[in-house]
Amino acid sequence: MAGALAERVFAEKLGRAGFVDVWVGAHRPTSIEEASQYPLFTDEVIELMRRTIAPERHGHVATSVIVKARRPDAAG
Amino acid sequence: MAKDLMFQAEIKDVVREAYGAISGGGGQAVAGRLYSDVELAELPRGAIDWALGVGNPVRYAFLQPGEVVLDIGSGAGIDTILAARRVGPEGKAIGLDIVPEMSERARVHAAEAGVDAWTEFRLGEMEQIPLPDASVDVVISNGVLNLSARKSRALAEIFRVLKPGGRISLADLTVEGELPPEIANDQSAWAG
Repeated sequence: MAGALAERVFAEKLGRAGFVDVWVGAHRPTSIEEASQYPLFTDEVIELMRRTIAPERHGHVATSVIVKARRPDAAG
Repeated sequence: MAKDLMFQAEIKDVVREAYGAISGGGGQAVAGRLYSDVELAELPRGAIDWALGVGNPVRYAFLQPGEVVLDIGSGAGIDTILAARRVGPEGKAIGLDIVPEMSERARVHAAEAGVDAWTEFRLGEMEQIPLPDASVDVVISNGVLNLSARKSRALAEIFRVLKPGGRISLADLTVEGELPPEIANDQSAWAG
């Protein structure tokens, strides 16, 4: 999660890589509670999140999205 | 620059070690949130147990029979297997992961699912994909791009391996605003 991009930055990077028709959708909030279901988040990291992130953000610390785009066809 | 490169290498090591060290995935708690009952019924139990994704990229990829699909960060194979079922034996599903233990699990799960004849798992990095130019119709991934310290490089590689007109369907996390520095600078927070 520490390496997650802002949605706008993600879309910009896709554009710079040459992709077109960039679409970002299927937004779903990710909470600290949900993150704790993943074994990759250690207890220490979850505790760090609970301690350092404002309580009002605990239910939405990140957003799960689907990003779609296309490489232009040969004709551009 | 040198410090930046060291940071990138450290992040890669942290991610590889974290994924290699865990003894299971998010299981039904994660898979049940991301996949429909119909999709879950297509999967062997082990693939569900090792679910570690954040979305359902296959659902949005609209895969067609005969297509070649690359799953970047294929883990224990859950999305690769779903993709393989959709492209069928006239197509091909390729899973790519940096963790040997995950690729081994994925091979077992693909065999259990009966899609191993047109599915392969390779070891490799998303920043240096071991595939030829313009060789893939669709690239999917699930909660993986955020793990890269070289995202622009990874996206350039995805672009390179896609055929002209090829498409991507990536599930990932986004974060608006700044994470607290204690988290942003915690290397283990990169793996989750």
